Amino acid sequence: MEDPYKVLGVSKNATLAEIKKAYRSFAKKHHPDLNPGNKEAEAKFKAVSHAFDLIGTEESKAKFDRGETDDQQRHAYEEAMKGQRARQKSYYNTQQDTGRYSDQFSEAFDTEGLFDQLFGGRGSGRTRHANHQAGEDQLYQLEVDFKEAALGTTKVITLPTGKRLEVKIPAGIEEGKKLKFKGLGGAAHGKGAAGDAYVQISIKPSEIFRRDGQDIHSEIPVSFYEALLGAEIPVPTLDGQILMKIPSGASTGSKLRLKNKGIVAGELRGNQIVTIKVVMPKNVDIAFKDEILTLSQKYPYDPRIPT
Amino acid sequence: MNLPLRKRIEEVCKDCGIEEEIIIQFMKEEWIHPIDPEHNMFDDEDMARISLIEDLREEFGINDEAIPVILHLIDQLNDLHRKLSPKTGGFT
Repeated sequence: MEDPYKVLGVSKNATLAEIKKAYRSFAKKHHPDLNPGNKEAEAKFKAVSHAFDLIGTEESKAKFDRGETDDQQRHAYEEAMKGQRARQKSYYNTQQDTGRYSDQFSEAFDTEGLFDQLFGGRGSGRTRHANHQAGEDQLYQLEVDFKEAALGTTKVITLPTGKRLEVKIPAGIEEGKKLKFKGLGGAAHGKGAAGDAYVQISIKPSEIFRRDGQDIHSEIPVSFYEALLGAEIPVPTLDGQILMKIPSGASTGSKLRLKNKGIVAGELRGNQIVTIKVVMPKNVDIAFKDEILTLSQKYPYDPRIPT
Repeated sequence: MNLPLRKRIEEVCKDCGIEEEIIIQFMKEEWIHPIDPEHNMFDDEDMARISLIEDLREEFGINDEAIPVILHLIDQLNDLHRKLSPKTGGFT
């Protein structure tokens, strides 16, 4: 991960005021709306914004300095540094194809276009078009939990018109998928058909599970003893906790498969892949160390020598 | 299909990290015109414009009197940019 202090061009000892000043100066220079179409400026703006997110407040800075930054925030930062993740669409980007705001502006100077839009073209019978206009399609967002998306569920949402809509979410639905509700969009004018409503599914990331096709991945911390001796430990799955056998001698990174505990896909179901993470005790007192030393001398092994 | 996604004001507050009263102020000032003003629903464009106004006020220290002037210039620039874009048959 690139150092956010470096990205903002400040020293590790910089005060919050200095960090903010550096951020503002970069933000002014690279703001995407002041550099329309300049991808380099946009990437730079994202990078400084994320760097500022990491060290811009006393709390986040202290957390970063202690190396405790949340994995999610760190991931977002790394993605931004790669230029892959849009923090949010820039205003410029929203105005490139059909921008309502800049279109409104444009129409003020384009009387012919305005005339066409109002009356459906010059010539006889022009008002007939305006009288029978189909209703517009409308798009809404519905956020569901990771588990709900994986196993399927039914949700009821209330449209802005007050109409309640039952949304059946099929098991295994993917992020961004749109469900169509015919005729529930904007009302028609005259005899035109009503528009359709679309509900776009957004899946709340899980802190435990990560999806990969039909499989899900999770990580389970195990003690040094459990890894060495083998154990049966409770593991969270989409269906609740189950007991999983850890084989003796498991290492960090060892992967165990729980069959049919993944994403539901019609009649079939993916698997859950559980990755072992061996976690050492936080406090190791002298007596404990002595015992381990005795054991290590009695049963030596070198993991750097391939077996 | 490329429909604008509509969000309620509470979702916009969460996504943009801005308080509801501020967004209502932007609407009163007529700096933003939500896609569905009757039901207070916002789309991507509205949200990006809200974030831009907030950047102008908070990060660039621009006062409220100057905001509409800057928005007007930015809209003018975007309109021009679109007209000149090769996609719309403008200049290359």
